[in-house]
Amino acid sequence: MTRTFPSVSDRVTQDTINAYADLSGDYNPLHVDLEVAAASAFGGTIAHGPIAFQALFRSLTEGLGSDALPAGTRITVTYRAPVRPGDTVSSHVEPSSDDDAAGDDRVRFDAHCANQDDVTVIAGQVELPRDAIA
Amino acid sequence: MTNTLSNIAYDDLVVGRRSGPYEEPVSAGLAGRLAGPIGDEQSVALAPPAVFPVLFLKALRRSMGGIPAGSVLAKQEVEIGEPLPVDGRVRIETWIGEKYVRRDRPFVVIEFDIRHPDGRLAARGSKTIMWPTGPGER
Repeated sequence: MTRTFPSVSDRVTQDTINAYADLSGDYNPLHVDLEVAAASAFGGTIAHGPIAFQALFRSLTEGLGSDALPAGTRITVTYRAPVRPGDTVSSHVEPSSDDDAAGDDRVRFDAHCANQDDVTVIAGQVELPRDAIA
Repeated sequence: MTNTLSNIAYDDLVVGRRSGPYEEPVSAGLAGRLAGPIGDEQSVALAPPAVFPVLFLKALRRSMGGIPAGSVLAKQEVEIGEPLPVDGRVRIETWIGEKYVRRDRPFVVIEFDIRHPDGRLAARGSKTIMWPTGPGER
């Protein structure tokens, strides 16, 4: 079964991070306080983790042509590197070579998002209900 | 929106302790600003998947009296349930699933369960967070 998902790119700015803080109520200083973040191990502000996820979510919803993901979808990702203001994050979703692990009723994809320097920021798997992508 | 941070120590987190359910609205404005590039409002009928991490953060804030200052997200798992129409409401429960130290770094796994008002699953999963304090630290 072949299903392709578009690569989606998002440019992340401090305004993006501030907007996410307003939407979520997460004003962790590592995200929004320039001075505190500069003094941290990160050396500057970093995006909320879910911001790195956004390009992947959009790739999936655009590929499926729906606002939402179908019931039974499973996504697991590990955060590999921080996203910083000025980064452009791009999603990549490809059929997994380990599709059998998803079981008979799901199709597994390998997914990752990388920044403009091709540094992977998140990586993991997406499992979609087989009937949703038929 | 209150700019609240929490300083709950690793040692004070009790595995298995549940918080909630917390009721949260899913407005068209919230859903629309999470459907495309973050903050750019779009028109959507169903909540996009990016709504769920935000709902988790809202519940975490309520359960801990704020967002843990200095915490960093390390891993995320989510299973999607029945589609969520915008301008609806959800009920969210959270609980500490696990605590551990790996490579001298403290991690806390927080589970979440998001339900429609009638009890149907909207989403569930977990977030693994690198905690700002470790065992014995305040």
